[in-house]
Amino acid sequence: MNDKNPILSDEELTAYIDGELSDAEVSRIEALLHSNERVGARLKFLSRSSLQFKQAFEPLLTAAPKTELDAMLGIVPGDAKPAPSRPSRRGFLSAIAACLVAGVVADQAFIGIRNRLHAPDENSEWRTVVAEYITLYTADTLAGPSPSDDAQAAQLALLDDKLGLSLSPQTVSLPGIEFKRAQLLQYDDKPLAQIAYLDPETGPLALCIVRSAVGTKEPDVEGRHGLNVVYWSNPTHAFMLIGRIPIDRMQELAEDVRKKTLA
Amino acid sequence: MQPAALEGKPVAEALIASEADIRSGLADNLVRLWRYGLVLSHRRDIADDLVQQTCLRALERVEQFEAGTRLDRWLFSILHSIWLNEIRSQRVRLGQGFVDANEALVVDGAHDTETHVMANQVLRLVNALPDAQRAAVFLAYVEGLSYREVASILDIPIGTVMSRLAAARAKIAANVSGEGAT
Repeated sequence: MNDKNPILSDEELTAYIDGELSDAEVSRIEALLHSNERVGARLKFLSRSSLQFKQAFEPLLTAAPKTELDAMLGIVPGDAKPAPSRPSRRGFLSAIAACLVAGVVADQAFIGIRNRLHAPDENSEWRTVVAEYITLYTADTLAGPSPSDDAQAAQLALLDDKLGLSLSPQTVSLPGIEFKRAQLLQYDDKPLAQIAYLDPETGPLALCIVRSAVGTKEPDVEGRHGLNVVYWSNPTHAFMLIGRIPIDRMQELAEDVRKKTLA
Repeated sequence: MQPAALEGKPVAEALIASEADIRSGLADNLVRLWRYGLVLSHRRDIADDLVQQTCLRALERVEQFEAGTRLDRWLFSILHSIWLNEIRSQRVRLGQGFVDANEALVVDGAHDTETHVMANQVLRLVNALPDAQRAAVFLAYVEGLSYREVASILDIPIGTVMSRLAAARAKIAANVSGEGAT
């Protein structure tokens, strides 16, 4: 099945991750994990797919038209030859709409879970978490019109308030790249400002800011999850700009933001 | 033809009791069945049809339910079989396309939270899988069923479940990581 790794198939590694193997098979795989780097690397790769599936699909239960379904069961005749009858489509649709508006179960665990697996280096770990998020963003995530300057200012004001910043649409604007939204996230129980942009060529990018007592650090670059990152800090905050734009252009954009946020 | 478990009981009484059990089991599982129908079909109206037909079929075939087994698994397998053998083939025959998966399973975005965005991204990753892999991933990782149970619902060998899940994991991992493994 898997020609990249002849020692253990993806099927075996998947069954290992899923806890579907016997003790003897588990021991065999764990021995190989210790002795063979490629096995470990493949396991790590496959483990990236261990997402929060249950939580992600939870809202679809809320979205189900429960009342209508219950009513439907009530009208299913119990005797031998029931004539399929169905609730009116119109009623169904409005019920679905109502359920959708009722919203989503917010699940803090969803954010927390993503902190695992990574070295406990406090200064870089937040960048890992952010990078994991941004890899999941697509242009669709940020679809829709850009907010007006006033709306941007209002979104930024919330971030300013929570993080002790003084951002304006001007200070966070990136030339040729659309501002899409500014929102307050949480990382490790601390507020994290995320300003998301959409570059027409390379897709989503984001400027993220947390409070930091590490002190001033000049911009540096790194790659995380296939994304380019420029990060720096001033006496009060740590910043990162992350996206798929080539690194030298990212550095120019970051430098521009850095100067404006100093002023 | 009577199920062995009913031996010694008056048949009529046993069936009536059993049907009441199934009815109550159905009521408990309607929402989960609807969600599975949505995952398979990407269509809310078809999910609705699938649940209705599953209810009818289950009540018609009360005597086929093996006492002592999990009712929800049995209902999932009925729904899956109706989807595969009746609705899906009919839609293909009629040439009716399916809506874009990216649209169908995404939860309303009016009150976006980050959790919500992330949930939608996971939904997109799962939606991007081929049908057979998507069903296996849903049953194993969302419903939390064992390989054996997934195999039984999909009516395929366990080895096929393993290869579908392995292929799905490799694909999701690659998509999460951007271009290939790092």
